[in-house]
Amino acid sequence: MGYIFDGIIKAFKLLIFFDKEVYSIIFLSIFISLTSTLISSFIGIPLGFLIGLKKFRFKRIVARLLYTFMSLPPVVVGLVVAIIISRRGPLGHLRLLFTPAAMIIAQTLLVTPIITGIIFNNSKEQGHQIKQICKTLGGNRWDTLILLIKEMRINILIAVVTGFGRAISEVGAVMIVGGNIKGHTRVMTSFIAMNHSMGNYSTSIAMGLVLLIISFITNSILYKYVTGD
Amino acid sequence: MNIEIQSLIKTYNQRQVLNIKSLSLEKGKIYGIIGPNGAGKSTMLRIIAGLEEAKKGTILYNKKHLNGEIIKNLTYLNQKPYLLRTSVFNNIAYPLKLRKYKKETLKKKVIEIVKEFNIFDLRHQPATNLSGGEAQKVALARALIFEPELLLLDEPTANIDPNSLELIEKKIIKRNREKNTTIIIITHNIGQAKRLCDEIIFIREGEIVEYGKTNQVISNPKCNEMKRFLSVYI
Repeated sequence: MGYIFDGIIKAFKLLIFFDKEVYSIIFLSIFISLTSTLISSFIGIPLGFLIGLKKFRFKRIVARLLYTFMSLPPVVVGLVVAIIISRRGPLGHLRLLFTPAAMIIAQTLLVTPIITGIIFNNSKEQGHQIKQICKTLGGNRWDTLILLIKEMRINILIAVVTGFGRAISEVGAVMIVGGNIKGHTRVMTSFIAMNHSMGNYSTSIAMGLVLLIISFITNSILYKYVTGD
Repeated sequence: MNIEIQSLIKTYNQRQVLNIKSLSLEKGKIYGIIGPNGAGKSTMLRIIAGLEEAKKGTILYNKKHLNGEIIKNLTYLNQKPYLLRTSVFNNIAYPLKLRKYKKETLKKKVIEIVKEFNIFDLRHQPATNLSGGEAQKVALARALIFEPELLLLDEPTANIDPNSLELIEKKIIKRNREKNTTIIIITHNIGQAKRLCDEIIFIREGEIVEYGKTNQVISNPKCNEMKRFLSVYI
């Protein structure tokens, strides 16, 4: 039990004494997850609305594929991205492997289906009602789009926060494409996994607590916005 | 608004749900559509509102096909209206905001209508917290505030209390008399049809089987389906 308490004490020490390595890992993790969530939101939100609101052939197949992509195994995504951007791969000339950019690409591939899927699910029910009410009250397509965003702001926020949660807690894909290089591609999750395998439980617990605090803060913001409490 | 319907056909998955050969609706009248569930009443109303497309046929609104200008002059309200996640005031003001009304005019018009509908005290409440009757009053006020020429109502008083029902019926009649608004209302309430409608259209299996003046159709129905329907509902 002692190492658990040691971990908690060490966590506070690392944070209070501004450990340079820890803070660089935290900031890199947040930067990579925020960037990938942002890119995924720009793709996933309009795509989710489009699939949810438009009638088109093979819509059911698209929906099933989307649900499948929502539960993509991160290691598989990491592997595919690594193969594509590795030196011998089709995008090898870009020299992206073991860079933060590669980690952003992998996370974007994981997060986009989640955001798209959540928006798709909500818009196919509520979105149709909003579209109808806007049209029957005299709104045009532009008015409908604005109203959709306004009315579904909470759903959009939930989708984005869920996507961010997936990105920041993901380890498999970033380990494969990032390589966990100290000072370059080491993020919180790969740091925890590495320290655990080395037997440094207290350091793993310390970083795990930081990860939990970030998760708590983002979810608290969401909760406050959704419930108003 | 005058409406001319010709050879209107609607199908769902190759099953024909509506087949209106010819129907003329005159400006300033209240029409009641009655018929059993699944007869095609709501489909017909939704097609007139431009919310669904027909497979074949034409609908002319004042001798014109449906366009942006006509859509701005009609509105549709069903029994479960969607209210925006904002206050009652903002919900009712929304159609006026779409039409770029000035703030003062907008406020004046909204205050007038909330008083008229006895929902003045609710104006700052979130619309999503209202009871069924209150929500329906807000939805009707929102539909009437921009003075549409054509009002399409799909069972607007189903499942609401008698006081709200009476108020809503009064407002429908008032709007029709004062602004000469054409109104088409779907109802299962024969009493309501008698109170509100100038003419009745009875639909069964997607086709009009009886059509005429309200008193005449209800007191002396010609077809057996209508007689059977009336015997159940009266």
